[in-house]
Amino acid sequence: MKPPAFAYRAPESLQEALSLLADHGDEAKVLAGGQSLIPLLSLRLARPTVLVDLARIPGMASISESDGWLVMGSMVREGHAERAPLVGRLAPLLSAALPFIGHPAIRSRGTVGGSLAHADPAAELPAVALATDAQLVATSAARGKRTLPAADFFRGFFETALETDEILTEIRLPPLSEGTGVCFQEVARRHGDFAMVGLAASVRLANGTIADAHLALTGVAPQPIRASEAELALIGASPTKAVFEEAGQLATRGLTPPSDLHGSSGYRTVVAQVLVRRALRVAALKAGADYEELDSGRGDLR
Amino acid sequence: MSDSKSGVFPVAGRFTGSPVRRSEDPRLLTGRGMYVDDIRLPGMLHAAFVRSPMAHAVVLRVDTKAARSAPGVRAVFDGQEMAQLAKAGGGPLGDMGGEGVESPIFTVLATDRVRMMGDPVALVVADSRYLAEDACELIQVEYQELPAVTSAEQALDPRSTPIFANLGSNVLQGPTTERFGDVEAVFASADRVVTASLTQHRHQNVPMEGRGIVASFDPATGELRVNASTQGVHGVREALAAQLDIPLEKVHVRAGDIGGSFGLKFGVSREEVAVAAASLKLGLPVRWIEDRNENLTVSGQAREESFEVEAAITKDGDILGLKVKMVIDAGAYPGVAPMLVGTIRQMIPGPYRMEALSFTATVAITNKASYVAYRGPWASETWVRERLIDLISAELGRDPMQIRLRNVAVRGEPPLRMVTGPSLAGITAQESLQRAAALIDLDSFRERQELARQEGRYLGVGFGTFIEPAPGPRDPDETPSEEEMEQLRMRLELDGTVTVFTSQMPHGQSHQTTLAQVAADHFGIPFSQVKVVVGDTDMVPMGFGTGGSRSATMAGGATLHAARALRAKVLEVAAQLIDTGPETLNIIGGMVAAEKASTRSITLVEVAAAAAAGDRLPPGIDRELEVNFAFDGGAGGWSGGTHCAVVEVDVETGLVRVERYLVVEDCGEMINPAIVEGQVRGGVAQGIGAVLLERSAYGEDGQFLSGSLMDYLLPTATDVPQIEIEHLETVRLDADVNFRGVGEGGMIVAPPTLGNAIADALAPFGVRITEQHLPPARLLELIGTMDA
Repeated sequence: MKPPAFAYRAPESLQEALSLLADHGDEAKVLAGGQSLIPLLSLRLARPTVLVDLARIPGMASISESDGWLVMGSMVREGHAERAPLVGRLAPLLSAALPFIGHPAIRSRGTVGGSLAHADPAAELPAVALATDAQLVATSAARGKRTLPAADFFRGFFETALETDEILTEIRLPPLSEGTGVCFQEVARRHGDFAMVGLAASVRLANGTIADAHLALTGVAPQPIRASEAELALIGASPTKAVFEEAGQLATRGLTPPSDLHGSSGYRTVVAQVLVRRALRVAALKAGADYEELDSGRGDLR
Repeated sequence: MSDSKSGVFPVAGRFTGSPVRRSEDPRLLTGRGMYVDDIRLPGMLHAAFVRSPMAHAVVLRVDTKAARSAPGVRAVFDGQEMAQLAKAGGGPLGDMGGEGVESPIFTVLATDRVRMMGDPVALVVADSRYLAEDACELIQVEYQELPAVTSAEQALDPRSTPIFANLGSNVLQGPTTERFGDVEAVFASADRVVTASLTQHRHQNVPMEGRGIVASFDPATGELRVNASTQGVHGVREALAAQLDIPLEKVHVRAGDIGGSFGLKFGVSREEVAVAAASLKLGLPVRWIEDRNENLTVSGQAREESFEVEAAITKDGDILGLKVKMVIDAGAYPGVAPMLVGTIRQMIPGPYRMEALSFTATVAITNKASYVAYRGPWASETWVRERLIDLISAELGRDPMQIRLRNVAVRGEPPLRMVTGPSLAGITAQESLQRAAALIDLDSFRERQELARQEGRYLGVGFGTFIEPAPGPRDPDETPSEEEMEQLRMRLELDGTVTVFTSQMPHGQSHQTTLAQVAADHFGIPFSQVKVVVGDTDMVPMGFGTGGSRSATMAGGATLHAARALRAKVLEVAAQLIDTGPETLNIIGGMVAAEKASTRSITLVEVAAAAAAGDRLPPGIDRELEVNFAFDGGAGGWSGGTHCAVVEVDVETGLVRVERYLVVEDCGEMINPAIVEGQVRGGVAQGIGAVLLERSAYGEDGQFLSGSLMDYLLPTATDVPQIEIEHLETVRLDADVNFRGVGEGGMIVAPPTLGNAIADALAPFGVRITEQHLPPARLLELIGTMDA
């Protein structure tokens, strides 16, 4: 479990990093925390010839607010984001998801941008980006900056819209509308493992009915997916157990989640339905739904 | 505690019995431990192995040409070249076939055949591990794939391809049957017979530190010096001398700190032999540190056993007898499986009265990693028995605790003997069951369970009880062999401190603390003035090392008796120096003093100096202040206890939360309660892992699927609850030594305890649990939410 030889470069400016990527193309790999990449190198599953470490580039780890948007440099460490009051205030769904990533030691090194760009199909942050309609800024030496909506960013199994000469430089999360409640839930074999199924959910209530709902599932497809059919069906409905149960059915319709040692496709489907119901309930309560009404009829789950 | 010889004895239990802080802690907790990976020798080279990507194949060709000229490569050995340098087997593990078992023939590195995924095929020695792994990629091996035998069931099919040509089949042993009591009569008199097919899944040791060796052969002296990660240095020495065919006295083996083992590291593995052979050939130090993928894939796996059980019972719940058929999946190469048959058979009645047992065992060879010892290697007896009792209880509609208490053997009620032979003298199983039931408050739990069920929450409680021969009551007619005795050397140094030389090889058991506690008390000096030397074949006495929960009794007892003998010698010398009778003297706090204040006292330094010089002593007095003591274990006795788990099962996701875990145990007199509790907690954690997380999984083609710690899941801090431990007062069987082993019990009984708790939680769904591994997806299948 030792990597083959590679060159290590630690540029001190973004320009320098971008020109290294431009020079080396798909032979280069960006190192942004290394919590996934380093094990892949050691297992010889990834064999880049050049590693471009972004850690020494100033200004890539800032967290700020702009017109109510949360703006983060891609090198913000997950642990830093987890503890940042600004993140908690502007992006509660992101805050809720961060503690599910690995363990404190992993979050101290792992970066928000690194996780998004790596695009593990069972990772938490891609689902959060998708659920919040985040905007992702990609920068290249040749073409400068372009902004991608999260919905266009994730393209498949460990695949994103980033070109080989591009670096994900910034993540922007839009402000939350009033009356919105959020919830992140996942089922993993152990706390800190990649999710067998994870769900980022938000619900906006207006006059006691659902005005808007966002559901992004992770772990059930090659990339995180929005449960659009379920979201549409929720709009205008009352927040009840039956409605949420129905949303769970809709969210998994047509899905064929992957099977692995930890859970079969069937297991992931069943659990996705459960998580949709449970997370919607919590999000609706946070949005101000009536607790009694929501929980009526609860009893033996069989 | 009293010393029959002098009538005077130091304050009993000043250190023994207290949670003395471990003397290992400062170095281990500050990163100053010295593990085999920390060894750096001038000119040291690094080894890496080319391994089979297939479970079963013929090796047609191994082309090492490109690797030999790769950067930094010093040597490459294929199977044929290695076969010229070293033999496989012959060490302690190589001979573990068991009685009447023909040994499979194989080589250190594969020559004609690979028999499991990861089987070593070639060895590269290079300037760094990186370069060695680069060169491994250049070695071309041509295989012709054979059908993989991936289950015992397939292995027992006479049409399966024999994995070892010389054996002719894949049945290593059996079926052999032994009967105790009148089995047929007992079954004929039974009101009913309860049957069950119970399985234990393959899982494995996973020590934090894998295997590892630094071997350094000096061509000038012909001496081979080895640093190993092992449970016993003498076993490594003997195996290397035999397999490399060099004189025993030319081999020196040392071991430093060991990052766990749990039974894995006895003797030498094929890889370690290959590395030593490479050093011998090159005349340079060669190092191999097993990486995690190698550790998980090839170091060894354990526990894969299946059972068909019939229990003859009365309508009132008396268990009259058992018929048991066991099949062990022993994996590819010789391991401990055949040796365990006898232990499992002997232990399956546990602490319960039963009149008859029939036990049939078969050991099968498969294309999977070899079967190794893992913490309580025979534990399937407890799993099967304790799960069976709950199944019997369910059939009778009775509470399992009632059935346990009804059947458990009780002191004072003969025959206090297992149907398989061993005496049950001193067992406290009944007390531990009663105490655990009381502590958990079973009646109020049942009320809470009912209320929770009405809310759609599923709680369960489970119990398990075990006894472990650690070392077991001694049969008075039996004389232990020399190998079974524990040798120990102890001496008074010139600076007045005491050094203990033990063959124990601590790898987490803290012997440098515990043996020092015992020596300090029984010799009469402060704990800090006792040094315990381990892990050096040039210094420590012969012995098997650490394993089988034997150290507390055997090494603790040897230390106690050696300390008393050394003390007697010291007092003889001191008595001469201060002109009084030795019986009036005592050693307290490092001083030799008389009971009468009028007599002067002298220091141990003075005694040691006088003994060394000799001029102040009369001729004929024994001036050698060193003793060698061989301990036979004394009267021995059982370790044992009852565990109880309270769990909640989320029936929609299959996730299990252990809400409470309780241990009531008896390991004799404790040397150090903090260390005892650490052993118990570690064992329970591994038991939780076994049931909820850990599985060594194989595909149908024999591919190993759990080769990383993302696939082989170990329990972490969030999976292990606070473990409550209560110690029972023990029954003393020996006048002096009543310390008993505690290393394995937690792991032996935690799996059935958890399995019983989960089964109890899921009782409303009619779930019948017969397998030990219960991951969330499987629980949903059992509940019926999801198709299997």
